[in-house]
Amino acid sequence: MTIQVKGVDAAEIAARLAEAEKILSTSPSVASFTIVDSKEAAKLLEPWLGKGNADTLNVPALIDLKLSAEGRSGVEALSKQLEAISPGVILDDHGGWNDRLADAARSGQALAFAVFALIMGAACAISIFAARAGLSANQEVVSLLHLVGATDDFIASEVQRRFTVIGLRGSMLGLFAALFLLSLFSLATRARGAEGFLLPGLSIGLDLALPLLIVPLAICLVTAVAARLTVLRTLRETY
Amino acid sequence: MIVRFDNVGLAYDSGSESLRDVTFTLNEGEFRFLTGPSGAGKTTFLKLIYLAMKPTRGRMTLFGQDVTEAQRDMLPPLRRRIGVVFQEFRLLDHLTAFENVALPMKVAGVNQQQYREDVRELLNWVGLGSRMDALPQTLSGGEKQRVALARALVSKPDLILADEPTGNVDPQMGEKIMKLFVELNRLGAAVIVATHDLQLVQALGKRTMQLNGGRLIEDAPMRERGRMR
Repeated sequence: MTIQVKGVDAAEIAARLAEAEKILSTSPSVASFTIVDSKEAAKLLEPWLGKGNADTLNVPALIDLKLSAEGRSGVEALSKQLEAISPGVILDDHGGWNDRLADAARSGQALAFAVFALIMGAACAISIFAARAGLSANQEVVSLLHLVGATDDFIASEVQRRFTVIGLRGSMLGLFAALFLLSLFSLATRARGAEGFLLPGLSIGLDLALPLLIVPLAICLVTAVAARLTVLRTLRETY
Repeated sequence: MIVRFDNVGLAYDSGSESLRDVTFTLNEGEFRFLTGPSGAGKTTFLKLIYLAMKPTRGRMTLFGQDVTEAQRDMLPPLRRRIGVVFQEFRLLDHLTAFENVALPMKVAGVNQQQYREDVRELLNWVGLGSRMDALPQTLSGGEKQRVALARALVSKPDLILADEPTGNVDPQMGEKIMKLFVELNRLGAAVIVATHDLQLVQALGKRTMQLNGGRLIEDAPMRERGRMR
């Protein structure tokens, strides 16, 4: 959190800063704080305004504030205490930014689920067409199996087994590719520092790898079930 | 009664009839030859019996069950009681000779340990004991025919159907195969053999059905055929 201390001149800002410091030192909500006075704040603006130009401006002082573990509940009271010094002392909890970031994260999450659903749908469609194509290509095999007394269930199980193996191979390959790419991403974030990226640093542990395992298993299941149902439906159309 | 046809007919989508008004009965332990010129309907006749096709007219009974309007799930157990030697062999290219012969047993859910010896014995009998692991594409026409024969017999069927079973083998093997059919018939299986080989038919003197233009024109022992004309 940040506290902005404004004033008409440097003296007023310094006086309000001292009062704010007193309040923060005694508040149980505060774990620690760092004061960035007007001069330091002006230095922060130098890259944009040029050296010395910011000194002419009445740049507010800033206090970088870290709340204690139980400090969240005392934020409102603290804000009122600070406002009591002057309306120019403002506690900014970055709620607006937090809300926007949270919205963006939720959108990203929803997008990921939508992509996952699309992949599952595509896997279903591929399995259905592949099973139909496989049946057409192996019509002689299916016909012979019928003539030697195979039930639809037997033929569907054979096809299902084949598609499960193919699905498992493909999805495991995809899983390893995903883990490889994530590892590269993880190495890149570590090498450049997480703060260089919008996303936080990423490390691949069991907590990430295990949920990823669900994806190939789900694809296998979808492939096998889709192939089985397609075969059964196609076989029912024959004598 | 093994097979009974009552005025059975089969018409294709084009409307042309491949079989017309065929009536016949095959009882337990009977042996029949099926003869006729090419295109007479011999293969179609056999296809109806081994349940590859459905008659479009008449009634058909197999092993005492009316199969004219049978449900699909009723057919596999009936098919397992029939051993078929197809004219074009119909071996599966990705399976070895052993696996092709074992296929009906696998489909029936029999444990491999139970049928392994039977399959080996049959392949030895047809002279392919040393080629059990060979794929069909590496076998000659005669060898494929013998694998197809072993596959038809492995499940000890109640009814054996053979479509030109001696067409791709030398006369010696042809005679051996025919003697096997006669022997299997003697052991209780009903047999229908479709063939062009009238010499073989005459030599065995078994009852013969003759098809012409999709009609069964004769169904009599071979020696009586002259008198019927």
